[in-house]
Amino acid sequence: MTVPTPRHGPAPPPMADSPLFPLGARFAPPSGNYRWVEPWGAPLRVMHWVAALAILVLIVTGFYIGRPYFMTTGAPPQYLMGYIRLIHYVAAGVFVMTGLVRVYWLFAGNQFERLPALFPIRKRDWVNLVTQVKYYLMIHPERAPHYIGHNPLQQLSYTTTYVVSIVVMFTGFAMYGQAAPGGFFYTITQPLTLAVGGIQVVRLVHHLCVWWFIIFPIMHIYLVIRKEVTERGGGLSGIINGGHYIRADKQYVDE
Amino acid sequence: MFFPTQFPWAKDQSLGEHLEASGVSRRDFLEFCGQMAVLLGLTEMAAPRVAAALEGVKRPVVIWIQLQECTGCVESILRSADPSIGELILNIVSLDYSHTLMAASGTAAEAALASSMKANMGEYLLVVTGSVPLAEGGIYTTMGGRTAKDVLVEAAAGAKAVFAVGACAHWGSVQAAKPNPTGAVGVAEIIKDKPIVHLTGCPPIAETITATFVHYLTFGALPELDSDGRPLFAYGARIHDQCPRRANFDAGQYVEVFDDDAARKGWCLYKVGCKGPATFSPCPIFMWNMKTSWPIGAGHPCIGCTERNFWDTMTPFYNRLPNVAGLGIEQTADTIGAALAAGALAGVAAHAAATTVHQIRSHRKAAAAEGAHDGQD
Repeated sequence: MTVPTPRHGPAPPPMADSPLFPLGARFAPPSGNYRWVEPWGAPLRVMHWVAALAILVLIVTGFYIGRPYFMTTGAPPQYLMGYIRLIHYVAAGVFVMTGLVRVYWLFAGNQFERLPALFPIRKRDWVNLVTQVKYYLMIHPERAPHYIGHNPLQQLSYTTTYVVSIVVMFTGFAMYGQAAPGGFFYTITQPLTLAVGGIQVVRLVHHLCVWWFIIFPIMHIYLVIRKEVTERGGGLSGIINGGHYIRADKQYVDE
Repeated sequence: MFFPTQFPWAKDQSLGEHLEASGVSRRDFLEFCGQMAVLLGLTEMAAPRVAAALEGVKRPVVIWIQLQECTGCVESILRSADPSIGELILNIVSLDYSHTLMAASGTAAEAALASSMKANMGEYLLVVTGSVPLAEGGIYTTMGGRTAKDVLVEAAAGAKAVFAVGACAHWGSVQAAKPNPTGAVGVAEIIKDKPIVHLTGCPPIAETITATFVHYLTFGALPELDSDGRPLFAYGARIHDQCPRRANFDAGQYVEVFDDDAARKGWCLYKVGCKGPATFSPCPIFMWNMKTSWPIGAGHPCIGCTERNFWDTMTPFYNRLPNVAGLGIEQTADTIGAALAAGALAGVAAHAAATTVHQIRSHRKAAAAEGAHDGQD
């Protein structure tokens, strides 16, 4: 599925200094032979963006439900909280559906998307984890391993996101089920609710989990943009068109 | 209100005969049966059947033991909304032993307990209020020189069913809150081989107890229970879903401090920490003190007293969420989250700056090396 697309010709000459944006203007993009890889299937890409949108909606509406930051005045039929809760539940349903797509794709996807790709389980992954951390600390970044899919640090953080997603969905359903005791959601969640000490503990866990969905994207978006700026492989567009260019002269751990 | 009766319920008298002797009219009795039927989730059509069942009931023996508790549950029950009959059924009937209400004291009281248990072995109902302290051999509550656990185990041995009344008998309540110095536990932790119904609350509403009692007398069995052992007819719905202020919740109209305009208008108490969304109780329907009022009706948020562990998980009472302990000082989830997010942002900014410096330096180094290389050509 990978088609080598060699780039010929001499390296372009160094560009002139630009006082405004030294990185962009001063240094030419790295030259060499590149090839096209396409690790991300369409279901994964669609799921990524739908989940991202759902999470954004869930955070905004969830903060309102937790601590209502607008008020209405005047007599009912105002229905602000009612509509916000409706949007929250619809977005939650969409989020759960993206989770189901992801679970399906854990078994139907390619080698970069399947279940084993989520966990740094081999010894070499743990060795690479250390060099990868050093890469981000800018200690011998050139020694960092090359991955087409996710490096061990990405595996850990993305898998954490999946785990937190499951917890946040389950705690959400536990609170949702409280309105209908004996109903489906109540019945499947209540044993665990009692085991952890009651619905307030569940509520607290739900709130704490949400912060992962705020902190993780900060780092995620930063590191993706950083990689785009420093390595210029087009990885950022990979989550839109499914692929990116990689250097043809390098070895890849997960190929 | 509780008044000693002039017409004690004789042992072989049926309840119908007893009420007639006490001067309770047939109309009042049917009205009471109708109320009880509705509380139990039956229709009023069931009232005649409840009445027929109750009329024929022979004097049930009830033994009421009080362990590590504050007597608040007894106070609540004495304020049953229908004292004339509720009192007859609960208090008069139950006075084989109830050390707060009985006239006897000391050795005489303990002797009454022992003789009643012996005479009615396997037949009596046991009502328990209060928790059982287990730490240091149970020395924190003793009666007549015996520990609460001994008293409970002995009393439960001959009981047909156990009514665990109040938060203490449910899970230990305030004395079982962290760090639980007396090792207090609920009745169900000790008694495993008897049917137990939990009437939770700190204290529970009197009518919940009366209605459960009527159910037991009418059908000869405990009512259907929820996952925490509470009767579903009373604890089957959240306060939040029965609340008269729910319209303000849905509308987005909240009290923010206790003396603001919203408070005077009677808006929703969600933002001042109401635990109604986490609490199963019939408070909005049954209310308290002869249906006078109830906490939210009086403008105070629900503290969630019918739920297990409420002293630990429902506090702070005026905040929505419990604190996160173990971080030196107690913090709310959102403070911690916001601090971590700010830390992540700062870290990302610092890393971006370091990356920029590193990139410039390495590119310069590469350019210099290339320049040197070019010179050698």
